[in-house]
Amino acid sequence: MKKTKIIILSLFALAYIATAFQSVSAQNSNEPWTQQQLLAPAALAKTINNPKSAQPIIYCVGPQAVIKNSIEVGSAQVPANLSNFKQQISRLPKNANIVIYCGCCPFEVCPNVRPAVNLLKEMKFTNFKLLNLPHNIKADWIDSGYPVSE
Amino acid sequence: MKKLLLIIALFCINIPFLYSQTVGLEIGNTAPDIRLPDLKGAPVSLSAFKGKVVLIDFWASWCAPCVKEQPKLAELYKQYKGSVFNNGKGFEIYGVSLDNKKAEWESSIKKMNINWIQVSDLKFWTSPVAKTYNIQALPFNVLIDGKGIILAKNLHGNELDQFLRNLLQS
Repeated sequence: MKKTKIIILSLFALAYIATAFQSVSAQNSNEPWTQQQLLAPAALAKTINNPKSAQPIIYCVGPQAVIKNSIEVGSAQVPANLSNFKQQISRLPKNANIVIYCGCCPFEVCPNVRPAVNLLKEMKFTNFKLLNLPHNIKADWIDSGYPVSE
Repeated sequence: MKKLLLIIALFCINIPFLYSQTVGLEIGNTAPDIRLPDLKGAPVSLSAFKGKVVLIDFWASWCAPCVKEQPKLAELYKQYKGSVFNNGKGFEIYGVSLDNKKAEWESSIKKMNINWIQVSDLKFWTSPVAKTYNIQALPFNVLIDGKGIILAKNLHGNELDQFLRNLLQS
């Protein structure tokens, strides 16, 4: 009987610790995007390389459109470029398949991804992704041999 | 006698290897040469600064930490430009920008009053020099001696200052 009690109490304690840990993790995620909104470079490369796949509209919100078929709107930290981006996406349906990327610097110091993601959220786009380039476009895309613009 | 001739022959074959320095990216290697255009479009080689201690500074106007670092580099440049080191006379900075827009590159240089050599092929991360130097992130730098041999990599701020100070001829 005593043994059963210990086991039940231990299980409760474990569940409590797990919940607490989950809540701390969620609090630490102060980014405007969610984990589900991050798109792996390999997945995008696979889509681009397969013309039969439904192609997303890829916008570069950084200094240069390196990825094949992507549209350069300029660094989103510059208000004029952000306005240009706004104008371009305003023509799209809210459920448009959009991928944005910068790749100038690691996410922590990138000045462009946050304004672009915030704009997409403000405009109520429901199906956008941020390309997961935690280092930069060279380390996470070019060096892997993924498709680049001519 | 045959053995002696063979030894002499093998020794002669190896002489060039004994005296040549490997070109590479490790400390002690000879840094790969770079030849890129400056703001006026004139090509400038890294090897043109042989004899001096040179900091190859990889940066870009769109890289916030790089821009933040420039005033410290200006300070070090002023301080060590005319110094005599154990392995070089004078200090130079060879700034290699990964910018892709000339106007932005130029305006940054002017805004920060950068007065050392600046080169760029304006190819962003697709620049061949980023591949040659295996640059994974900016800012990145390589310090070479008067013979072009890599002394240190990725030293910034006070660490770089201290390293240069230790190189000074006593």
